[in-house]
Amino acid sequence: MSHLGNTHSSLNVTSLRDLARKELTKVLDSVRGKKCLVLDPNISGPLSLIAEFSLLKEHGVEKMHYLQSGPLETELKSLIYICRPQLHYMKYIAEHIGHHQKDNLSSSEYEYNLFFVPRRTMICERVLEEAGVFGEITIGEYHLDLIPFEDDLLSLELDNTFKELYLDGDYTSIYYAARALMKLQTKFGLFPRVIGKGDCAKHLADMLLRMRKEVAVDDPSSTLSVSQNIDSLIILDRSVDLITPLCTQLTYEGLIDEVFGIRTSHVEVDSTIVGPTSQKPVSATTTTPNTASTTTQPSPPARKKKIALNSSDKLFVQLRDMNFAVVGGVLNRIARRINEDYEERHQAKTVVQIREFINKLGGLQSEHQSLRTHTGIAEEIMAYTVTPEFNKALEVQQNLAAGIDINLQNDHIEEMINRQVPILQVLRLLCLLSLVNGGLKQKSFEFFKKEILQTYGFEHLQTLLNLERLNMFIKQGSASNKFNYVRKHLQLIVDEVDEQNPQDISYVYSGYAPLSVRLIQCVTKGGPTPIGYPVGANAAANSIAGGGARGIVGWKGHEDALKMLPGKTFDEVQRHDDGAIRSKKLIQGQQPRVTLIFFLGGCTYTEISAIRFMAQQDEGQREYVIATTQIINGNSLLNSVMQKIDHLGHSAGGNS
Amino acid sequence: MGWSESEKLVVVLEDGLNEPPHSWTVIPPQYTLSRHVEVLLATGSTILTVDTKESQDQLLQQGPFTKMAVSPNGKFLALFTTDGKLWVVSTDFQKNLSEFATKSQVPPQQLIWCGTDSVVLYWDKIVLMVGPFGDWIKYSYDDAIYLVPEIDGVRVISSDKCEFLQKVPNVTEEIFKIGSTAPAAMLFDALDHFEKRSPKADENIRSIRTELADAVDACTEAAGHEFSQYWQRNLLKAAAFGKAFLESYNADNFVNMCQTLRVLNSVRYYEIGIPITYTQYTRITPDVLIDRLINRHHHLLALRVCEFLKMRTDRVLIHWACAKIKKSTDDEETICRMIVEKLANKPGLSYAEIANTAYKVGQPKLATRLLDYEPRAADQVPLLMSMQEDELALIKAIESGDTDLVYLVMLHLKRKLPLPEFFRIINNKPMACNLFEVYCKQQDLKLLTDFYYQDDRRVESANITILESYEQKDLNERINKLKIALKWYQDDKEHAFEAKAIDENIRLLQTQAQFEKEMNQQLVGLPLNETVHKCITTNHPNKASKLKSDFKIPDKRFWWIKLKALVEMRDWDELDRLSKSKKSPIGYEVRPGLFIKIGDFKAAGQEALALKDIQLLSEIKSKCTNHIIAQELDAYIAQLSSR
Repeated sequence: MSHLGNTHSSLNVTSLRDLARKELTKVLDSVRGKKCLVLDPNISGPLSLIAEFSLLKEHGVEKMHYLQSGPLETELKSLIYICRPQLHYMKYIAEHIGHHQKDNLSSSEYEYNLFFVPRRTMICERVLEEAGVFGEITIGEYHLDLIPFEDDLLSLELDNTFKELYLDGDYTSIYYAARALMKLQTKFGLFPRVIGKGDCAKHLADMLLRMRKEVAVDDPSSTLSVSQNIDSLIILDRSVDLITPLCTQLTYEGLIDEVFGIRTSHVEVDSTIVGPTSQKPVSATTTTPNTASTTTQPSPPARKKKIALNSSDKLFVQLRDMNFAVVGGVLNRIARRINEDYEERHQAKTVVQIREFINKLGGLQSEHQSLRTHTGIAEEIMAYTVTPEFNKALEVQQNLAAGIDINLQNDHIEEMINRQVPILQVLRLLCLLSLVNGGLKQKSFEFFKKEILQTYGFEHLQTLLNLERLNMFIKQGSASNKFNYVRKHLQLIVDEVDEQNPQDISYVYSGYAPLSVRLIQCVTKGGPTPIGYPVGANAAANSIAGGGARGIVGWKGHEDALKMLPGKTFDEVQRHDDGAIRSKKLIQGQQPRVTLIFFLGGCTYTEISAIRFMAQQDEGQREYVIATTQIINGNSLLNSVMQKIDHLGHSAGGNS
Repeated sequence: MGWSESEKLVVVLEDGLNEPPHSWTVIPPQYTLSRHVEVLLATGSTILTVDTKESQDQLLQQGPFTKMAVSPNGKFLALFTTDGKLWVVSTDFQKNLSEFATKSQVPPQQLIWCGTDSVVLYWDKIVLMVGPFGDWIKYSYDDAIYLVPEIDGVRVISSDKCEFLQKVPNVTEEIFKIGSTAPAAMLFDALDHFEKRSPKADENIRSIRTELADAVDACTEAAGHEFSQYWQRNLLKAAAFGKAFLESYNADNFVNMCQTLRVLNSVRYYEIGIPITYTQYTRITPDVLIDRLINRHHHLLALRVCEFLKMRTDRVLIHWACAKIKKSTDDEETICRMIVEKLANKPGLSYAEIANTAYKVGQPKLATRLLDYEPRAADQVPLLMSMQEDELALIKAIESGDTDLVYLVMLHLKRKLPLPEFFRIINNKPMACNLFEVYCKQQDLKLLTDFYYQDDRRVESANITILESYEQKDLNERINKLKIALKWYQDDKEHAFEAKAIDENIRLLQTQAQFEKEMNQQLVGLPLNETVHKCITTNHPNKASKLKSDFKIPDKRFWWIKLKALVEMRDWDELDRLSKSKKSPIGYEVRPGLFIKIGDFKAAGQEALALKDIQLLSEIKSKCTNHIIAQELDAYIAQLSSR
């Protein structure tokens, strides 16, 4: 919790958390006495970032349950449900109430309170009404939207936005995003400029402009002034860059997500991996032979351990954005340093020296523990990254991204299908193939479809149709290959990558610079800043032409590349109603300007790392704050559009 | 507030009274201890305090009380007894405040409070005002009058004028009392001397130096209580004069008072005719004053007052527009233009209320046109729905981007309209369709089937049928559903592949069902690969081959399935035969190579050990990723090289 607000960010995101926290206590206090909290499983993670369990306890929460199907047994008579307005949850709640009513005829004993996050919807109320329980429930709202993960990272934690937006055409998440951004605007001032790419992103920008008008009606006193800190909002639509999430993330945090899956900045791993009980002294040489990797050893009933991955862990801060290739070395170095620090005790002769050492000991031990944890995790990831499957897939990916030997990759993918690697891995590569190539040739298109259906089951016919609809896996049209141009123009492939001392964002994928972040660089700096290029020179040269918001360059000079990418391009300037009176501060540029980046449809950890890398480069000139609908990776992205059924208990889905 | 409880009150009354009360009055809930309405009833010689729960006899002897009145602050009660005594007590009857003998046996026509410290009694053409310490004033009138209590005085209404009777406010009294030496009076006097260029001005100021700030405040306040602009001006001048001698004086009060007086003077102007006092104005707030103005249709003044006080003008403008619509006889085009022109430069003004008014006075077309200007979709939609503008409501809801609003309209329409009509409305609106589909997928698949069918969306129909097929427990049912889907796909040339796939799916299910009987294995629903795999591991190679040819499994894949299955079975002979067969699409591979290929390094190592091939072993080791196995491999190598 305390990890927020430690950096000297110009944008105080901690206040967002405080706000959410305050509202939560209000929600809890609205019901008197002891109560039972029933949580949407998807909310409980985000909620844990807002308030610790002891806070809930202080406000009378005696028990917590997950909102799920089946009867809810509790002796507490006051129930508080907190959930997203989703229809199936309404059915569960109706089920609970129905059960209570059957149990004891006078159901009035129970008191039901339902709080929707972030707002109540008519449609849910309707479902409750149809279930005949609407009258039993007191309904409220809990306006939890953007949750601060870090000082530079906010997430709406909505699930499956990409699927909802592009497959279902359900724009609810855009509405939520607009409301959340509106809230930011009321807090930090109007975004002077809204720039973006993608159809849904455009939709979001339009809705923001519209809402600003509406806000003037709702709250007369709030005539929003132009923000002092934020120079622009960049909205990127996931559909603009689907290639990046499909590639395997190669940063430490990214790989943790790929291998274990991170949920609301927590990861669950076997307690054996990070076991605090292990007596072995941690040294750099890997002596712990715990590898439950590919060969499935019947491991003892491993207890899962939840580990928080945030900036309260100093070691993790150091590691999270690094390319995994150098993580081992860093761990080694730190292990040695800690060892030396421990050794200091031998030098401690006088009482004063001993006391000094003892004072340091607490920090040293927690550092030690953190080192143990990350060594364990890194080892596990290492075991995964040295497997031939992983390397083969990575090679295919990198060749595809770089546009080398495209046709050869077909054979590799075919072999992977034959080996029956998890379908998600295969789909990731096939989609990548299709995306970089502008589709597959008719013959191989049908061949791969058949291979997938026969290997992984016919229900994936729907999966394939979904992917086709999303333009992720398609038959080649007549159009020329657009991605080649984009790749060249935006210098997406950087041949020489120094993972140790990265010069460019391409280090996050060991050679491929995420398209999305390149686009951001276009907007903020006028283009990619490759190796040796003086940082900021580009920006300075363009700043005069920047007009409205100084320093922001906009899409100028990249129109051609943008045309090659799907979706509309936009650039709107927002002014204060009474004519823009910009503060002197902003004109003189004394304060680092904050650029807010919003990913509609989710972003990956590597993209976050790449943006942090940019922030490092721009230290003192510009800060970046990332907001996203959720954090995704290739697996979760594809999983959301995959057809899932149970046949004979074999789950068709992948592992995430 | 308490009126809903009147029934309960009646019950109490029936119990307690045999005759009508001599008089009665109500204490509003905010002034009572119980925070509920209390009613005071004079009966016999006493008074009952009655609330919703109980009645309490105050056990008084002085009665009967023919008149009673509660003071504006709810603390005091004025009573008039039959023997002509005016008696003031606290409303809880604990304190006896004052008594005054009027020597009139006749009860007054009116007994009311004037402010909170004096009581006014009215007999025919005579008004008697009684102060807190028994001092009194009598006024005579020529005509009959009526008294209206105000928060700070009494309004006297006669047939030709309206007077205001008020105890002189303390600050005013302080300043203007003859011989007053209060600081404020001294300050006011100083100004007088100053204007006459008399040095006494300085003397005066010096004498009140320490209390000068209070004096300024007092003069400012006194100005507020004045109706005459002459005195207002003089008092404010005095305040300003005193202010000049102060180093750090917060002039907000002064400025506010100047503004307030300007507003008060303008509404008191005879053409407007709202003779409101300063105290009343601060009590009702400027907002209410604006309401009063617009209700009297003084829109222009209201607008100016709003602008002057920097308040929102929306309310005034909206009220104006509504009034215009109600009154105007022009055609809708003219009205609409007139309203829009006037309100055009006010962004964020809500048109919903104006439109609603237009709708209510029977101008639905005007309403629709006006609603177009409403910036908040959430406000447009419900009105459009109530105006039966269903389709427009849906369009507006879609424009708003608020999906819930779209659902609101759609569910309303679905309930209201026959299904085909409903489908017709949403058909050409993609977002509505999308949301409808999402809703149906969770709530009502059957409805979705109808929807796709009426719109002739075959592929979607097929997809939904396939979804349904998964839910079928019975195999035949499942196959039937798939057959329906097959038909849908076949109708569309673009989806030949899908048709073929579904056809294969059906055949697979049928084959699986057949094999299931023959093999006594659970097969139905497995993917083709796994089915083949199972056939091999359960020693039904013929069946596997049949599947291969029936479903045209490529050699390469079939070979892989077989390989995996054989390794699982540890069928080395067959594996050898397979790897050496010329037909093998993967080519000749030694057995350890097979294991490497499928990732079983341990087995590969054991094989290599058996072959005594050190080179192979180290090759395996270089590929191996597992520490334990790598160690074992090292052991093998050591074992071999030692020989």
